[in-house]
Amino acid sequence: MTRFVAARAGGAAAVLAAISLFVAFGIRLTGDPAVAMFEGAGAPSVQDVQRMHQALGTDRPFLVQYAAFAGAALRGDLGTSFRSGEPVSALIAARAGATLALAVGGMAVALAVAFPLGTYAAMHRDALADFLIRVGSLLGLSFPNFWLAIMLILIFAVRVRWFPPSGYSGPASLVLPCLTLGVILASTLVRLVRASLLDTLGQPYIRTARAKGMPERLVIVRHGLRNALLPVVTFIGLQFGGLLGGVVILENVFAWPGLGQLALEAVSYRDYPVVQGVVVVLALGVVAVNLLVDLSYGLLNPRVRVG
Amino acid sequence: MAWRQGRCIRTGVVLALCAALGTLAWGGSARAQSAAQSRGHSLIIVQAQDPQNWDPIATFLLSWGMVGSNIFDALVDRGPDLKIRPGLATSWKWVGANVLQFKLRRGVTFHDGEPFNADAVKFTFDRLLGPEGAKGPQQGNYKSIDHVQVVDPYTVNFVMKEEDPVIITKLAGYGAMIVPPKYVQEHGSAYFGANPVGTGPFKFVEYRKDDHLTLAANPSYWAGAPKLSVVTYRFVPEAATRVAELQAGRADIAQAVPVSQANVVKNDANLTLMPVGSPTVTEIRFDPSKAPAGDVRFRKAVISAIDVQAIIQSILAGYGHRVSTFQSPLSFGNDPSLKPYPYDPGQAKQLLAEAGVKSGTEVTLSFPSNNADFREAAQAMVSYLQAVGLRLTLQPVEQVTYFSDTVPHAKTGQLYEFGWGGWTLDFDNTAYLLYHKGEYWNPVFSDADVEKYLVAERSTNVQRARLAAFMQLDRRLYDLAIDFPLWQQVNLWGVNKRVQGFTAPPDDRVRLLAVSVK
Repeated sequence: MTRFVAARAGGAAAVLAAISLFVAFGIRLTGDPAVAMFEGAGAPSVQDVQRMHQALGTDRPFLVQYAAFAGAALRGDLGTSFRSGEPVSALIAARAGATLALAVGGMAVALAVAFPLGTYAAMHRDALADFLIRVGSLLGLSFPNFWLAIMLILIFAVRVRWFPPSGYSGPASLVLPCLTLGVILASTLVRLVRASLLDTLGQPYIRTARAKGMPERLVIVRHGLRNALLPVVTFIGLQFGGLLGGVVILENVFAWPGLGQLALEAVSYRDYPVVQGVVVVLALGVVAVNLLVDLSYGLLNPRVRVG
Repeated sequence: MAWRQGRCIRTGVVLALCAALGTLAWGGSARAQSAAQSRGHSLIIVQAQDPQNWDPIATFLLSWGMVGSNIFDALVDRGPDLKIRPGLATSWKWVGANVLQFKLRRGVTFHDGEPFNADAVKFTFDRLLGPEGAKGPQQGNYKSIDHVQVVDPYTVNFVMKEEDPVIITKLAGYGAMIVPPKYVQEHGSAYFGANPVGTGPFKFVEYRKDDHLTLAANPSYWAGAPKLSVVTYRFVPEAATRVAELQAGRADIAQAVPVSQANVVKNDANLTLMPVGSPTVTEIRFDPSKAPAGDVRFRKAVISAIDVQAIIQSILAGYGHRVSTFQSPLSFGNDPSLKPYPYDPGQAKQLLAEAGVKSGTEVTLSFPSNNADFREAAQAMVSYLQAVGLRLTLQPVEQVTYFSDTVPHAKTGQLYEFGWGGWTLDFDNTAYLLYHKGEYWNPVFSDADVEKYLVAERSTNVQRARLAAFMQLDRRLYDLAIDFPLWQQVNLWGVNKRVQGFTAPPDDRVRLLAVSVK
């Protein structure tokens, strides 16, 4: 087990190094942070741009800039934002909680919706309920997330005023963003749970369990769902990266002060240190979640346990 | 039977829920207003952007001005009427060919108790013109200042190194806001950028990035205490959400209401839509180095072929004013006698024939991809130009790439979009940086007469002489048709009717000293 974790950690370090190099290089290919800072009403002169390049350190060769970033990052210093002058790590720390709350909340909604509905649909295959659940899932998949977000705001915040339209100001403000994210995630997840459970319910050991006289509820929960979980957990792990992508748009619509907004603004202004820092931290999160997913396989199915 | 009973129950529950939702929705408007009124003397503004740094020398963003104009003061001030008036200086005069003297207001303190005096002015400009200012975009605006000299505790001299006829206006700009020396030195610029201290009518209370910033009234403000007790600015990037906050009664003022949402605000009994002409002008520039845009007949043909007024009416819902040169009517140097070239497709065809431009000639229009209004206008332009025999290809480019690579390196098509605010409201700011040869955003165009008029307007502080030079410049640019000025942008503000004394500012610098709520 230790060897497995060490090997995966080594691989993760290589992935992070490659991602950071790619992002640092890519963000410098187009756009200039010195010019972006003039947005509003100013026009830079050629001298202004040169002066700001010197002050920001962007006049140095790329490899020198990257080496400085990588060296400092290894010591836990992700650099200083061009725009705010604050340490990137502090900017990330201040927003990570909001993004995590949204991601976890959205995933919780998705699981709470997808598991009962997926299970019910599998148990009532081809019945009206199964049909309605599948149609509902298709509808959920068809909604663009920003459209769904705005519809929920108009109904629940402007019309009936149950929840605030935007902002990060207590548990009520979590409802609409998490619901939006949850509905979108659940739409895929419910189909996966249904398909996976149907596949499992056709296995010989399910027949054996039923033949032993085990109550249907126990058959479904103990033998069916547990074995059906493997592809579902894999999907959740893989979905985590995509979920962060969805969060960027939802943070914008709901004025949610998270990493998505930070990254979006940083890209808009070519704030290199912030872009590099956020991407590295998010990549670290994705790698960590996928490592946990790999380790969870052993808990769900002892046959794939490592070491 | 049981199934039927179940269905009846379910139907009943659904109907009851619908009724409840309907009742709640019906009372939404009244409840929204009572929610707004429950805030008492506090005001909430929703604005599109968080500038991330409140240090006056670190930004050029209008979103900074909305907030910063209430925290900081400069030596002079430009109010919503756009006229210059005394600020922290009570008077000023030229005391030598290159020395501008200011008498400072006495008895003013910064929010942290530090006194405002000549040392604070000197510190502010030393910082702006030194290495700290070099990291931000404001330094270049003040490079005509050599240094600031303290004459006595309440008198300062600005020693100029070159002529700058717009210096007084510039001293009302963001970069010239006076900052507290002791506070900045003790805490450093990064801390100051997140915890600003000034002499303005409101003092900083709290800031959570990308979420909100809160200010409280400064009861000892030198121009009198504000009527509001607390002001909260919330940063809401999505326009539809800003309008939703306003409709729900959770915000009192919304900035940058999009044209598509104008009627939503207009038709809400609790809200007022306030349109205001801004200094920003949108236009199409021609790159004369790319055929056939080097020929003035082609340029005038394109201008005659497009019905700009129809585009303003249909795409901007009328929220835009036609302009004849690349400046708004608010700009010093605008010639109101020049009228936009009329829409005349027949004339356009004739000019194209004279210029030898064949039917079916392909031309490209580049523009920043994030400009949704212009994108729609550009699509209409494709049809207009097709009607006179030109095939227009649209080339959207990511905004930062557009302004830092495409435009400065002349990688645009023959036509390219440009929007410009001219923050000093003096045509110098636009004209010199966009028509003077070799400027960052003018890699190609040059004209001897234009250069002559630019030098003339910059070489004197006599405003009448400058105006005369601008009139000649306007005429020359109009005749050259090197630009196709489209419209002056009209900004839309959504305001709750409980807000009193609010004037929608053309330059986005919201002043809250005289604003109250009922």
